[in-house]
Amino acid sequence: MKRLVIKKVGIVVILLLASLFLVSCSSGSVVNSNGTTPAPVPMRQVTDDLERTILIPTKITRVVSLAPNLTENIFAVGAGDRLVGVTTFCNYPEEAKSIAKIGDTMTPNMESIIALKPDVVFVSTASQIETFMKTLEANGIAVYVTNPTTLHEVLRGLRNLAALFGTEETADPVVDQLTSRYAAVGNTLDSLLRIDEDMGAFIECRKPTKVFVQISKEPLFTIGKDSFLDQVLQIAGGYSATWNVETPFPKLSKETAAVLNPEAIILSDSEDNQEPNDAFKNSPAVKNGRVYRVNADIISRPGPRLVDALEQIARQLHPEKFRNK
Amino acid sequence: MNRKAIIIGISLLAALAAVIILAALLGAERLPIFDLNEQQASIFYDIRLPRILLGACVGASLAVAGAGLQSLLRNPLAEPYLLGVSNGAALGTMLAFVFFQSLEITRPLLAFAGAGLATIAVYRMAKSRSGMNVERLVLSGVIVTTFLSSVIVMLTTLLDAAKLRSFTFWLLGDLSQATRNGVYLSLGAVIIGTIILMSQARALNLMMVGERDAFDFGVEVGRVRMLVFGAASLVVGAAVAASGSVGYVGLIVPHLVRLSVGSDNRLVVPFSAIAGAIFVVFADTIARTAIAPRELPVGAVTALIGAPMFIYLLRRN
Repeated sequence: MKRLVIKKVGIVVILLLASLFLVSCSSGSVVNSNGTTPAPVPMRQVTDDLERTILIPTKITRVVSLAPNLTENIFAVGAGDRLVGVTTFCNYPEEAKSIAKIGDTMTPNMESIIALKPDVVFVSTASQIETFMKTLEANGIAVYVTNPTTLHEVLRGLRNLAALFGTEETADPVVDQLTSRYAAVGNTLDSLLRIDEDMGAFIECRKPTKVFVQISKEPLFTIGKDSFLDQVLQIAGGYSATWNVETPFPKLSKETAAVLNPEAIILSDSEDNQEPNDAFKNSPAVKNGRVYRVNADIISRPGPRLVDALEQIARQLHPEKFRNK
Repeated sequence: MNRKAIIIGISLLAALAAVIILAALLGAERLPIFDLNEQQASIFYDIRLPRILLGACVGASLAVAGAGLQSLLRNPLAEPYLLGVSNGAALGTMLAFVFFQSLEITRPLLAFAGAGLATIAVYRMAKSRSGMNVERLVLSGVIVTTFLSSVIVMLTTLLDAAKLRSFTFWLLGDLSQATRNGVYLSLGAVIIGTIILMSQARALNLMMVGERDAFDFGVEVGRVRMLVFGAASLVVGAAVAASGSVGYVGLIVPHLVRLSVGSDNRLVVPFSAIAGAIFVVFADTIARTAIAPRELPVGAVTALIGAPMFIYLLRRN
């Protein structure tokens, strides 16, 4: 009988010790061992680009970015210091290189992300990761989807981000400057530029240049319908030769490429894309030496540097207009 | 050669001619074949025709390799993919792709090397003190294949986003990179490979009965093996370097051929070459035109046709 009591006491002591141990381990987590939640973090509701309503802390202090353009956007609005995790593709600005890497956009590492304890994870719809999003949300980490698809959406997205982080003071002059640089290109090209209230702009150029954007030489990838570069080309006084091809980054038939006859070719500047595909050997672009390069990172990311791309392309397509600038 | 075989041979050749003509008439761009202007002529002769011919060479390569390996190993599942030959070639091409981007000639060279090394590895693993048995060989092939696959997957993490897209497309089987020189290379490889396999056809026939019996009939089993493996590495290396991984050709084509002409390799090998060419040219015509002006990877089309066909064959037998 006595022995049984001792046994019982022993079990209770062990259980107590175990729970103490658990408490000390879980002190960093949201829920305490006694089941109550700590003083609630003030939260607010926001809507992301997919029109999803999500709950995020009023003051965001730790975020993870799952796409290089989103990393650039977050830095541009002055919230780069709150980035605790980025992808291996995130190489700009320089500071982004020293931030913890959580894998690449296609295969981010869930454990690394959760271990970083972010308030919000920023993802682009381009990173096809639905199940991944569910797991994060189940772990109490908000997922904010944003993927601007035009220059206007980039600029508007920057303002949204600034509001999200409460960094409007830093961000406003940056975005204003980007907007005026972009407007300056339109003015220089002597085009009709109308901006409506919703920031959607409409541009008409006198002589738009037919441009083929070559993303990769072999296999031949280009930009198609709904690419964010479509509008950039239009503002720069050109238009995409493949504007009506389905999907943003189609693999194009060389036969079709051979009859496009672009007046200019823009190469996304990477090691394996240094010259136009052979299908263009008889095109006016190649015959007249109108083949240009734009840094692959700048041309492939709908971020603040898209304005750089715009300026470069405008100068390449219409050098005469920029002679004195 | 019996009358039936001659009829089948002639009809296969006629079918190949028909499918090539059909493929030449179809494409993303509509061309007036008998009245081409300079630009259209360039599309026809520099883009469409090389691609059709490369497709024919790739199809013939994969099918003769499958026919040879199936007879050699007396295993209906034996084909370049199962035995690691394709993945060796794919890994070789990928290394060329990653490290010698601008030197395109390194791709077929490293593909041959990869296919050859994979074959040697399989061969060495399968060889035991008691000689070599077929089960061991197939098992070694599977191991080498999966090992090489994981190396390829690991290497893809070294690629940046743009290269990854190109490489993934290529890996799925893509004939869009056809050039005249590529056609000459593949054509040379498939002719040499088919001649080697044909020269071993009689020996392979005997080996299908059993290696011991073949040995008793004076067949140098080891030499036959080496020649068949060598020929398979050669044609598969050329095919993979040119077009990535086009699946199911090496598996179903020799089966279909055997169903119609029996298992005499003197017929199975050349007929597989023709039938394989028909299959890939046909599949690539779909890949080129189905969603024009965009393109599908031809490997996706061959798998789409090949998988149900294989299930049908399985149920029939």
